[in-house]
Amino acid sequence: MATEGNKKIIAVCQSGGEFETNKDGTLSYRGGQAHALDIDDRVKFEDFKVEVAEMFSCYMNSMSVKYLLPGNKKTLITISNDKDLKRMVKFCGDSVTVDVYVVAEEIVALNVSDMLSARFSAACGVDHCLDHVDYSKPNLSCFITDTEIQSEFAHHDLGVARMNNGSFGCCPASVIRAARRWQLRFLRQPDHFYYHELQQGLLESRTVIKHLINAEDVDEITVVDNATTAVAIVLQHTAWAFSEGIYDKGDAVLMLHYAYGAVKKSIKAYVSRTGGHVIEVPFNFPVNSNDEIVSEFRKALGKGKANGRKVRLALIDHVTSMPSVVIPVKDLVKICREEGVEQVLVDAAHGVGCVDVDVQEIGADFCTSSLHKWFFCPPSVAFLHCRKKHLDLHHPIVSHEYGNGLPIESGWVGTRDYSPLLVVPSALDFINRFEGGIQGIKKRNHDNVVEIGKMLAEAWGTNLGCPPDMCASMIMVGLPAGLGIAREKDALKLKTHLRKNFGVEVPIYFKDPEDGEGEGESITGYARISHQVYNKIGDYHKYRDAVSQLVSDGFTCACLPD
Amino acid sequence: MDGGDEDQTKKKSRPINSIISWTEIREEFSHHHPSVARLNNGSFGCCPASVLAAHRSFHLRFLRHPDAFNLHSLPFALLRSRTLLKHLIHADHLDEIALVDNATTAAALVLHHISQNANAAASFVVVVLHCAFQAVKKSLHAYVTRAGGSVFEIQLPFPVRSRREIIAEFRKGLKRAKSLNLNGGKIRLAIIDHITSMPSFLIPVRELVEICRKEGVEQVFVDAAHALGTVPVDVKEIGADFYVSNLHKWFFCPPSVAVLYSRRSKNAPLPIESSMWTGTKRDYSAQLLVPAVMEFVNRFEGGIEGIMKRNHENVVEMGKMLAESWGTNLGSPPDMCASMIMVGLPSRLLRTHLRECFGVEVPIYHHPATATATATATARDGNDGESRPPRPWDKEDGVITGYARISHQVYNTVDDYHKFRDAIYKLLQEGKVCKQNAFEFDPMS
Repeated sequence: MATEGNKKIIAVCQSGGEFETNKDGTLSYRGGQAHALDIDDRVKFEDFKVEVAEMFSCYMNSMSVKYLLPGNKKTLITISNDKDLKRMVKFCGDSVTVDVYVVAEEIVALNVSDMLSARFSAACGVDHCLDHVDYSKPNLSCFITDTEIQSEFAHHDLGVARMNNGSFGCCPASVIRAARRWQLRFLRQPDHFYYHELQQGLLESRTVIKHLINAEDVDEITVVDNATTAVAIVLQHTAWAFSEGIYDKGDAVLMLHYAYGAVKKSIKAYVSRTGGHVIEVPFNFPVNSNDEIVSEFRKALGKGKANGRKVRLALIDHVTSMPSVVIPVKDLVKICREEGVEQVLVDAAHGVGCVDVDVQEIGADFCTSSLHKWFFCPPSVAFLHCRKKHLDLHHPIVSHEYGNGLPIESGWVGTRDYSPLLVVPSALDFINRFEGGIQGIKKRNHDNVVEIGKMLAEAWGTNLGCPPDMCASMIMVGLPAGLGIAREKDALKLKTHLRKNFGVEVPIYFKDPEDGEGEGESITGYARISHQVYNKIGDYHKYRDAVSQLVSDGFTCACLPD
Repeated sequence: MDGGDEDQTKKKSRPINSIISWTEIREEFSHHHPSVARLNNGSFGCCPASVLAAHRSFHLRFLRHPDAFNLHSLPFALLRSRTLLKHLIHADHLDEIALVDNATTAAALVLHHISQNANAAASFVVVVLHCAFQAVKKSLHAYVTRAGGSVFEIQLPFPVRSRREIIAEFRKGLKRAKSLNLNGGKIRLAIIDHITSMPSFLIPVRELVEICRKEGVEQVFVDAAHALGTVPVDVKEIGADFYVSNLHKWFFCPPSVAVLYSRRSKNAPLPIESSMWTGTKRDYSAQLLVPAVMEFVNRFEGGIEGIMKRNHENVVEMGKMLAESWGTNLGSPPDMCASMIMVGLPSRLLRTHLRECFGVEVPIYHHPATATATATATARDGNDGESRPPRPWDKEDGVITGYARISHQVYNTVDDYHKFRDAIYKLLQEGKVCKQNAFEFDPMS
């Protein structure tokens, strides 16, 4: 790091140990690891931090760098910029070495738990008592440790750098055990389970969800298998309205161009077939700002309302899947209301645990989110929130409870394994072991994934798919053009190649090169990186190095067999 | 692979010393509540420990690396299950075999499909048995009635006397449906149970499907929720367009999985693969267990056929024992039942009471009191018309208005049924009866 001719010093960087105050008030550092790094007074602080972060495999965001002045061993001096670093080199002048301490920052626990417990006690008159669900502030002194996190996810394949939480989510061992307990209760005495345990268990799950998303009433919450089912419930209602003449043929249903594949198929099957006109809202990717999305949305609404038609339903993703971008749903729902859209459904499949899902704030008629993607439930479970006035909906699978209201109907759709739907309270228990609960997890995931995205883009000489504030726990990072991702199939093949040969799991999005971008190489592949509590920075270094190696080897997708 | 799987389904008895022992059977079902006489396999089925272990193993493999599992392991495992099932039910083509969650889901799929493809202008008629499963009847309301179609219910007599009677009644009912002349007398779909739920008896389904064809019914859907593992199934012989059977009832799978057969035809196929309701990011583990189940059943003498045969013989024997003890009758002749049989109860009794106070789990069918019921009450008690010793409760209630549906599965012992017999004795001696309105609607059958 140091260059010739400048004042040099060896920084002995230490981390993982503890400070002790001696009898004379001076500080001593014990334990942890130490690495030596030679620096001079010209070194940039950013570069210094990058080196140190890599040394200790920690995140720059949560890192704090301090040192003790010679002659004053009582006060730790924080280094936060180039000037501070320069001063340190100057002050430690004649020494050969300087002790530098790398400390993990305390993350301020946000007051979410307080909010939840306040709401819970206010609603207690209406809700059932949930003795075992602890809404109180997590005990600050016993947060889950790193070792415990690793053991909760010990069932993950340790040889795979798993950076695709967005697709299948993850489930910690303690929640898997909770699910098994439910399964055993059914197997032990299924009739008794059906008559005396199932409904109460589902009600507890629904109550947890109600608090999570700030819904008014637990009657508005229905648990289902997944967001696809939830969307089908709403679309079925729309389809009947078209069939029965309540909606005119040619009235519009809006969806984003980047809506989830299965949902798009559903919309075509339910809506187009019954006479509705489906309009897709495109937007550019890479995307630069919310305004781009908002203006396209307005345009599409205009199309839908042309010739005196009505827009009956707008289906808006909260976080699109591929490519993944956080959509300004609140703004779009507001526009829908202004423009007289009849109903709005927010598909927040990547919702709870990834972005803030507050149904009062979002203001839609319907909102759905998965709980097995970012809320630590096993596959698969999701919920549909419906405002009270929209309760005349039905689950597509009709069983004994038909006609008793959607939440009750969904509580029995034939004999099946309901355990994923029953472990929502257990998942919340797991989450509350983390500092800051779900808010803390979200914040750390976001900060980390942004840092990682920038690191990768810089290493590969590419760019991000959107600005940092338009992503949550996932980020799109351009892959080097030299890899030659020329079509969708290449993206799949490359993903498999990386999995098999480098042990990295990352989905790749193929972006069609725009017209007129014939000169030079354009970025046609974007990796969707996820960050979840079980990830380590090493995972992403592995990915970075794998791709860099492919590039330096002259690899292109054309080399891969079909 | 094909030949190997076929062998697996046809495997008969093994050498005597490798047949599963009673101790091993008890171990396999040691997770069952020990003090409950579980006479209701028909509702929720059962799953042995070794199949549960295979279930967990698949589940963990998925959780370990879901992307890799779904891409590289899942398709092959699904294919194995489907191939074994194709052989088991004697289907011609693999693409006729789909795995869904349960029979209720299959009914929704078929009815949704029918209502979509029906000509919107013409009304269409769907025929169903009066004793069809509740969930199916509600599905008809949600998909058929709502879309402007009509539902016609065919009454079948109960207690059942003979196959001939059922066939005759069905034929009469179908003709009546046609004579209503909705949709020009054409019937869009007939839904026929293979084994009815409540009350439970075996339907001569092949004959009924033939009648449907003769009468010009467009498509036939056989709801065979209870079939696989209780009766031999040959879908080609039965000749229906759609046939569904649960695997978690009598085929030892955990909840839940069912096999849905759709005969290749010129009609638009059922859109199961792109089913809009189930999503793909789900737990497929239960669907992958057919090979593990075959391994389990092949530890029994005679494999699945041996199990079916013994369940049938035992349930008939137990049914007769109970009917004789209580002075009542069976709901059908022995050859019109499989692994479940209806046994008349002396008077109305609460199911919950039996569960909570006596540790007996058995579903009860409340049969409207009719002259027929009274007449047959004394006719069929297995004593060939000899007068039987009077019971203390005879004079109070000679009309059978309740039937218990008892099941027999490999984990059952004679003691389970004795427990039930004695519980009823006790209740009668204590003079416990149900009030008129207190009968409990029992959807779980």
